[in-house]
Amino acid sequence: MNNHNIYKPIKAKVLEVIEESPTIKTFVLKPENHFTFHTGQFVELVVDGVGEAPFTPSSSPLVKDRIDITVMRTGYLTQRLHQLKGGETVGIRGPYGRGYPLEKLYDREVLVLGGGCGFAPLRSLLYNLQAEQERIKKVTFCYGSKNPRECIYEPYIEELRSIPKFEVMRTVDEADESWTEEVGVATVLLDKIDVHIDDSVAVVVGPPIMMKFSVQKLLEMGYPETSIYLSMEKNMSCGLGKCGHCMMGEYFVCKDGPVFRYDEIKDKPDIWK
Amino acid sequence: MNKYYTLSRHDWEKSLANLINQFVIYAPVYYGEQQDYELIGESDIPHIVYNRPKPATPLKTFFLPVEENVMSTKAPPKQRIIMGVPSCDLAAANIQDEMYLNRDFADPVYKRNRDASILVGTDCHTIEEHCHCTTYGIKPYPEFNHDLTLSLMDETIYLYTHSEKGNSLIQAMEKFTHFHEPTENEIQALLDKRKEVEELLNHNNQGLPDYRKTGELVQHSGREIWKKYSQTCVSCGACATICPTCTCFLLMERPGFEKVRHLDACQYPGFEKVAAGEDPLRPLHKRFYNRYMCKYVWKPQKFDSIACTGCGRCIEACIGSINKNELFLELANT
Repeated sequence: MNNHNIYKPIKAKVLEVIEESPTIKTFVLKPENHFTFHTGQFVELVVDGVGEAPFTPSSSPLVKDRIDITVMRTGYLTQRLHQLKGGETVGIRGPYGRGYPLEKLYDREVLVLGGGCGFAPLRSLLYNLQAEQERIKKVTFCYGSKNPRECIYEPYIEELRSIPKFEVMRTVDEADESWTEEVGVATVLLDKIDVHIDDSVAVVVGPPIMMKFSVQKLLEMGYPETSIYLSMEKNMSCGLGKCGHCMMGEYFVCKDGPVFRYDEIKDKPDIWK
Repeated sequence: MNKYYTLSRHDWEKSLANLINQFVIYAPVYYGEQQDYELIGESDIPHIVYNRPKPATPLKTFFLPVEENVMSTKAPPKQRIIMGVPSCDLAAANIQDEMYLNRDFADPVYKRNRDASILVGTDCHTIEEHCHCTTYGIKPYPEFNHDLTLSLMDETIYLYTHSEKGNSLIQAMEKFTHFHEPTENEIQALLDKRKEVEELLNHNNQGLPDYRKTGELVQHSGREIWKKYSQTCVSCGACATICPTCTCFLLMERPGFEKVRHLDACQYPGFEKVAAGEDPLRPLHKRFYNRYMCKYVWKPQKFDSIACTGCGRCIEACIGSINKNELFLELANT
C-alpha cells in the first residue's frame, strides 16, 4: 500500500474563464501535475477554503496539458466558482468513477442525447468520438436547452456539423425569433432521428426529468435496456465510494458509476430524483 | 502463538501503571448509568470496568473520529491500547476495513488510526436489555480483529493472545510482572461463562429474525410500516452516530487546501440533496427506510461483512423511542 493521500487535490491554475451562457461558464485549468482521465469520469473541483464538488470534464481526454470544466451556477460553490476571473489556483481530485464505455460504441451508430448543462460531459465524449471517427459508424447528437441563450458551445456545434459522420439536431423549450431549429423538449428530436436502432447505442445526459422521459421514449422506440447508457447525477462528496452520500441501492454512484447501463439501475430507488 | 496468561488483578493494575509510560491507554470506566472509554491515568486504573458489554461510544470513533483533518497522515508518537472492546464492535471493524482499506482507495488516515491501536477485546459476562449480537451470528466474546482478549474472574485477570501485537504487549509487560498459566479448570470456567452468556442472549432474543431474514423482510416490506415507525423520529442522527458500522461522512474544506472529514448521517435532511435541488431522501420515512435498506439489504450485496452487529445502541440512543427490533418482529409476524 503506498502512502498516497486519496483526499489530497493537485493544484491547477485557472487559465481562462469562458462564458458559455448567462448561467454556464467553462474553466480552462492547467494542472500542476500530470493528470489524465477517461471520458465520462469526473473530478472533484476544489475551491480553497470554500468547498469541492463533482464535475465531469468537458474537454477531450486526449488533450493532456489542460482540462476544461463547465459549470452551471446552481448553488454556493458554483456561485463562488463563477466569480473566478482567471489566474487563480484551484484544486482537482480524481479522476473518479466509470466513464463512457467507448468499446461498446465502436462499430455502432451512436445516439448522444443531451439536455442543458448535460452537454458538458457529452462534449468530452463527442471530442473522443470525433478523434476516433473511423471506429464509429455514425454519431447523432440531439441537444435540448431551455432557450437559445442557454444553448452552449455554439462554435463546437458548427464544427460537429461539418463532419460527415456527425449529425446534430437541437431544440429549445422556448424559442425566440432568431431560432431556426426545433422547438420543444429534448425528446421531440427523437421523432426525427434516422438511426438503425438494432445497431445503435444511446448515451443520455441531462437533468433527471429529461433523462427519465428520454429513456422512456428510447424504450418505446425499441432500444434495448442494455443499449442505453446514462450518467447519473448524485451528491458525491468523496468520490471514493466511502462517504455514502451518492448511494443508489447498493451502488456508490461515484465509484460504480456515474455512467450506468439502464438495466443496471432501472430497479434502484429514486433514480430520477 | 496464541496462549493464555494469568495474573492477579493487583499485579495487572501495577502493570498497567507501568504501561502508561509507554502507551496511551483507553479503557471503559463506569459512571453509574453507563460506561465509556476514558483516557486512563494512574488514578483511573482501579475504576476500569471489566467484562461489561458495550461502552457508550463504539470502537469506530477511534478510527473514524467525529471530526478529523484527513490531510495529515503523520503517525502518533505512541501506540494506543484500547481495552474493553466488546465483540460486537470488533465485528464492526470488518466492514470498516472493507470500505476504508480496499485496494482501489485505501484511506491513509483510517489506516494510520487502525495501525496505531492495540485492541484488547473483552468477553461480555453480562448483557444489556437490547444486546442481540448472537441473532446476527456474532458471539458475545471476541473472535477476530483484536490483539488480546482480557477477562476478569474471581480477581484474576486472564489474557489470551491473538496477534503479534498481542504477543508484543505481553512481552512488554513481562519486564515488570510475572504471568502464570491458567489451570484447566480456570479455562473451563471462562468457557462456561461464554456459553452461559451466549445462551442468555439466544433466549432473550427468541423470535427475532436473523440478519439474512431481516434483509428479506425489509426489502419486501410496504411503505406503511416505515411511516409508522418514523413518526417519532426527529432526524437527530443519534442512531448513526453511535452505530459501530455507520461511517458516512462529509468532506469540508479549510483554507490552505486542508480537508476535514465530519461523520454524517443519512437521517439528516439534505443528506443526498444535489445542488440542482433533487433530494431523493427528502421525506422523513424515506430517510428512515434508507437506513435499514442500507444495513440489511444494500451493504450485504456490496460487502462480505455484515452492517449490523446487534449491539442495540441505536435503540438505546433514540430519543423518539424507536425500537428497530420491535419493527422487525412486526414485519416478521405480519
